[in-house]
Amino acid sequence: MSNLSLNLVWLYPDLMNTYGDRGNILAFLYRAKKRKIDLKIITVSLKDSSDLILQADILFMGGAQDTQQEIVNKDLFSKKGRFLKEMIEKDIPGLYICGGYQFLGRFYKTSDGKILPGLEIFDIYTESPKTQAKRLIGDLIIKSKLFPNRYLVGFENHNGRTYLGKKVSPLGKVIFGGGNNGKDQTEGMIYKNSIGSYMHGPILPKNPELTDFLIEKALEIKYKKKIKLKKIDDGFEKKAKKQVLKKIKIKFK
Amino acid sequence: MINLLIILGKVVEFFSKKLKLGSGSTWPGHLALFFDKDFVKKVLKKNPHLKIIIVAGTNGKTTTVSLIKHILKKLNYKVFSNNEGANLLNGVASALIKNSFINGKIDYDYAVFEADEFFLPVILKEIIPESLIILNLFRDQLDRYGEVNTIAKKWLYALKTINNKTNFFINGDDPQLYAFGRHLSRVFFFGIDQKLMKKNFLKNDIDSIFCPLCFQVLEYEKISYSHLGKFSCQKCGFRNDKVFRIDKEKISYPLLGLYNVYNINGVYLFFEKIFSLEFFKFNQLIKDFSPSFGRQEKIVYQKRKFLFFLAKNPAGFNQNLETIYFLLKKQKGKFFVILNNRIPDGRDVSWIWDIDFSIIKNKADFFVVAGDRGFDMAVRLKYEFFSKIEVYENLFEAIKRIIFLTKEDDLIIVLPTYSAMIDLRKILTGKKYE
Repeated sequence: MSNLSLNLVWLYPDLMNTYGDRGNILAFLYRAKKRKIDLKIITVSLKDSSDLILQADILFMGGAQDTQQEIVNKDLFSKKGRFLKEMIEKDIPGLYICGGYQFLGRFYKTSDGKILPGLEIFDIYTESPKTQAKRLIGDLIIKSKLFPNRYLVGFENHNGRTYLGKKVSPLGKVIFGGGNNGKDQTEGMIYKNSIGSYMHGPILPKNPELTDFLIEKALEIKYKKKIKLKKIDDGFEKKAKKQVLKKIKIKFK
Repeated sequence: MINLLIILGKVVEFFSKKLKLGSGSTWPGHLALFFDKDFVKKVLKKNPHLKIIIVAGTNGKTTTVSLIKHILKKLNYKVFSNNEGANLLNGVASALIKNSFINGKIDYDYAVFEADEFFLPVILKEIIPESLIILNLFRDQLDRYGEVNTIAKKWLYALKTINNKTNFFINGDDPQLYAFGRHLSRVFFFGIDQKLMKKNFLKNDIDSIFCPLCFQVLEYEKISYSHLGKFSCQKCGFRNDKVFRIDKEKISYPLLGLYNVYNINGVYLFFEKIFSLEFFKFNQLIKDFSPSFGRQEKIVYQKRKFLFFLAKNPAGFNQNLETIYFLLKKQKGKFFVILNNRIPDGRDVSWIWDIDFSIIKNKADFFVVAGDRGFDMAVRLKYEFFSKIEVYENLFEAIKRIIFLTKEDDLIIVLPTYSAMIDLRKILTGKKYE
């Protein structure tokens, strides 16, 4: 299994990186390197040429603050959005967190009813609740059909409530926390090989199975065959997860 | 009525101290404000001679308040402050209660208050300070405070309401804070010597790299750390050219780290403008200043030197690592990292992924990790390809291990969050036993 290589395109690292989402990149790098996969990071921001996106074997976009999101939204609409759509439709695996996840939906409805169009790649929409509704903040624990025997663990911090359409499926079922909207017990979304999620934490270092899943998918698409990654030591990762789960169980009592 | 509340407050303070409830620095004020929401205003009205200085910012508040106090005392002024961390309105009210007579009179010249980021606007509704010092604005505890931009907007709104009555001393190397200046009349910007700025690239802990006026991404000529530096906007011409940059040779800094250069320069600018204090005199006054606990504080325990670098956000942590890098020179560091996520630390530990550990790459002998979320920190270090990492869920065991791994006179670098710092200090100073 030597000489495998992957390109990871990291969208707007300077603007969309608010809650330690960069940790996801470090997780990809670490787990690829341990398998001797040459993972190259290509950062694509405002000034970079949009067609760099076409080199991606994996895509990543994090969350951001409102002002930064506005800047990015403009750039996506005028330049990079169509390249991104092309790649997602071509089954290129990707991870989109929080703001990055919301962007790719159909629209975002602000609390005063204004509709901000999205890139319409994912069949989801997001609305900002009326002012009384609480921001969803705290530990978020889900069960995903991708990993039936395990929990995925993260930390959510968002105001927008996202609702899924028929063309996508949830990433998982909420066991603890708010998830997509705090109502229907769904969290995140899967569309083709793309995953959207509200999980910071960041999501990948906490959930190495998901990191490996995305790497395997990327290898499969690129090399057109199933490649099983060899197991590596996940001791700390498992215990970090356990530390959170233990706390929540105490809360449940 | 106020007199009654002061007496009540003093009684509450007395008992919480006696019973070791540990809430003596917020409860008296909390009660007073519950019975009279204008309590602070009324006490201050009775004491028009009392001048107030407020210090706000994400990092450096405690050190800055304590430095100002230190200097004012040496200049023979009577001065008091709120307790560290008791920096909401109830903490300020408690400090007033504690330092007033029961008739509400305060026999002090100055009060120096640190203000919580979130509560600064609330505090400014009650208090018009003689001077307001704003140190910086970084991402910190996003789960509690919300996003940096939101806070900046609220601050500016609050600052405008006290304009013309207050002297503003603002970190002019922060784009969003520098932009406040357009709305304020008596404003002075402090920065640091450009010779101390080295980098010309941005790190991962940045928040404000876009132009606050036209939202273009800013160009940095030089960067000191995080988003602080010498910047300009290519589109609208916004640039921080009114910053008072103190020549680094002019001040003998008693503390390590660029972040302290900012804090101290801010304090200097304040004393220069308000007291016409000169460098020579200033240096004399700060020479014997020692930092508050947990901030570059050294505690000797079992003949090892534990050097504390408190941090609970990426900007603070990165600054600590940079300081440690220079401190270690050719040595390898023995690191003791403790990560908690209790209320004062912030519940969300995502921020540790914005720390740039590459600064100390090849500089670590080992890491002993502890804390409520120690394993998160272990994963963080592992993914940075550090190899010698050990985790202990029990703090006493972690200390035993680190004693075992070191020898007499060794320097141990402690990187704790707030509650972790308090816990470890208690053990190392013999106030808590296994």
